[in-house]
Amino acid sequence: MKAISRDLTWTPFLSLLRREVARFMKVIAQTVVTPIVNSTLYMMIFGVSLGQQIHLEGDIPYLAFLIPGLVMMACLNNAFQNSSSSIISSKFSGDLEDLRASPLSLNQIIWALNIAALMRGLMVGAITFLVGQAAYLFTFHELLPVAHPFILFVYLILGALAFASIGICVAFWAKNFDQMSAVGGFVLLPLIYLGGVFFSVDHLPPFWKTVSMYNPLLYMINGVRFGILGTSDVPTAWALPVSIAATIVTMAFARRVIGRGNFQRW
Amino acid sequence: MIQNDPTAPSALSIDNVIKSYGTTEALKGVTFDIRPGEVFGLLGPNGAGKTSLISIIVTLEQATSGRVKVFGSDPALQPRQAKTNVGWVPQEIINHGYFNVEEIMEFHAGYYGVRDPKPRIKFLLDGLGLWEHRAKKVKQLSGGMKRRLMIAKALVHSPGLLLLDEPTAGVDVELRTRLWDFVSLLRSEGLTILLTTHYLEEAERLCDRVAIIHKGTLREMGPTRQLVEKFSRKKIIIKLQSPVSTMQHADLVSGAGTDWTFLVGMDKPLGALLREVNVSSDQLSDVQVAEGTLEDVFLKFTSNEVKA
Ligand SMILES: Nc1ncnc2c1ncn2[C@@H]1O[C@H](COP(=O)(O)OP(=O)(O)OP(=O)(O)O)[C@@H](O)[C@H]1O
Ligand SMILES: [Mg+2]
Repeated sequence: MKAISRDLTWTPFLSLLRREVARFMKVIAQTVVTPIVNSTLYMMIFGVSLGQQIHLEGDIPYLAFLIPGLVMMACLNNAFQNSSSSIISSKFSGDLEDLRASPLSLNQIIWALNIAALMRGLMVGAITFLVGQAAYLFTFHELLPVAHPFILFVYLILGALAFASIGICVAFWAKNFDQMSAVGGFVLLPLIYLGGVFFSVDHLPPFWKTVSMYNPLLYMINGVRFGILGTSDVPTAWALPVSIAATIVTMAFARRVIGRGNFQRW
Repeated sequence: MIQNDPTAPSALSIDNVIKSYGTTEALKGVTFDIRPGEVFGLLGPNGAGKTSLISIIVTLEQATSGRVKVFGSDPALQPRQAKTNVGWVPQEIINHGYFNVEEIMEFHAGYYGVRDPKPRIKFLLDGLGLWEHRAKKVKQLSGGMKRRLMIAKALVHSPGLLLLDEPTAGVDVELRTRLWDFVSLLRSEGLTILLTTHYLEEAERLCDRVAIIHKGTLREMGPTRQLVEKFSRKKIIIKLQSPVSTMQHADLVSGAGTDWTFLVGMDKPLGALLREVNVSSDQLSDVQVAEGTLEDVFLKFTSNEVKA
């Protein structure tokens, strides 16, 4: 056998990461155009037209309240979409089997999938933010300032990693496309909506407010809101530990799922 | 090219491997060793357990019990050592929806840690006639090109052991011969190969040693020439002008009325068979002689089992 130069630490990880990024770049049009259309619609309907009638405490315009929520929602949705559709399409074409047969380790697989998902989440989050700024400029003739850019990034990253991990779990578990979209539609979307994207939990009846407090997404979404506006619906002291814990738990779960999961094609 | 050093670890060691899927027992305790540099053929009919065994080697399935070692390492326990040494051509084509041939090769090399894969990729794609198709996606390739791509991919990280799961299924005669030539070239470079196939001829051309697997059990194992002599059969179908109710012969496989089918040794003359079953030439309406396939050999095996 000829001696070949091998590196089993970074090369396999970077190759899978490159593959994952290349995969979503091949469908970049739908990756980018869909969120632009979606967030423009949300901003027009809720932010600009209905928003005139909504008054929040502290004199924050409703559009300003809405923008961080939509940014996080886009980021989470795309992180979830990326890891789950990558796995589902690999199950379909059979190349998921290649990953199992190769020396890629569990950690390499999970980090490559998660970081690619994070990149897509941040990219689409940024696009949504730009659309939001355009709507804000159009309405108020000024830009919405970002209060704490670093904190904003921390929450976007935590949320994207958590949702990418959930995407991995669901995609490995799903037996077909319908199960996959059922989880997205019946579980994740309600969690995102009830996490305070469109409204403040302060406006909910006491019972539902208490229930919402158990939704980790509430803390993540409000973390992003704090990062942009400098205000939050939930105590900021709680938001970070809850978000970090949620991310660690989902990633650990995804690692377990990959370790035990079935890599065979459909 | 086969290394006979008894202290060197086997290229592949399969030790009493059992695999059950629920109540189906696909492998019932299979044991064999492949020496470095050897080309080993695993022959068996549909459902014999060939793919199950290969799936266990590449850790896609877990053995119910037993051990597998690749150059001394267990793929499930020491994946890095074991898996970098294995190249795998699955029975079914892998599609890689989004990517073209060159990208597929580069990613695959990367998964196996190859630092500078370009020269190797060029060499393999050239050798398998795929270089001019390198910008195409899998679905734009013909069936034969897809097969060759699977082989190129499996070799991109220069493994010591190549697993070929029916590499010539659904491949035309010309391409089959070209693939055989390529495999012979690889063998001359010292690659160890485990090849599964239905075709006796393929095993005969390529393999140093073969094992015959049926219903999850190894039935026979030995140097190819020896087994071929022992098991090759030709199929003779005798058509009579008027029906007879029975015929007595050890090589009789099936028959009724006017049509009777026999599987006989390659060297048995037709005349001898006719004499043995007491059929004279003017009773015949037609005789068909075909080279037996492995499936026919097993037909005989299994029908004997029923009688026994
Ligand atoms: N994932 C599975 N679940 C349940 N049973 C299976 C599974 N895979 C294979 N089997 C069964 O195990 C047995 C062996 O199958 P296997 O695919 O290993 O055969 P094979 O020798 O590769 O056959 P072929 O020549 O048709 O490829 C068959 O009875 C098959 O139905
Ligand atoms: Mg098979």
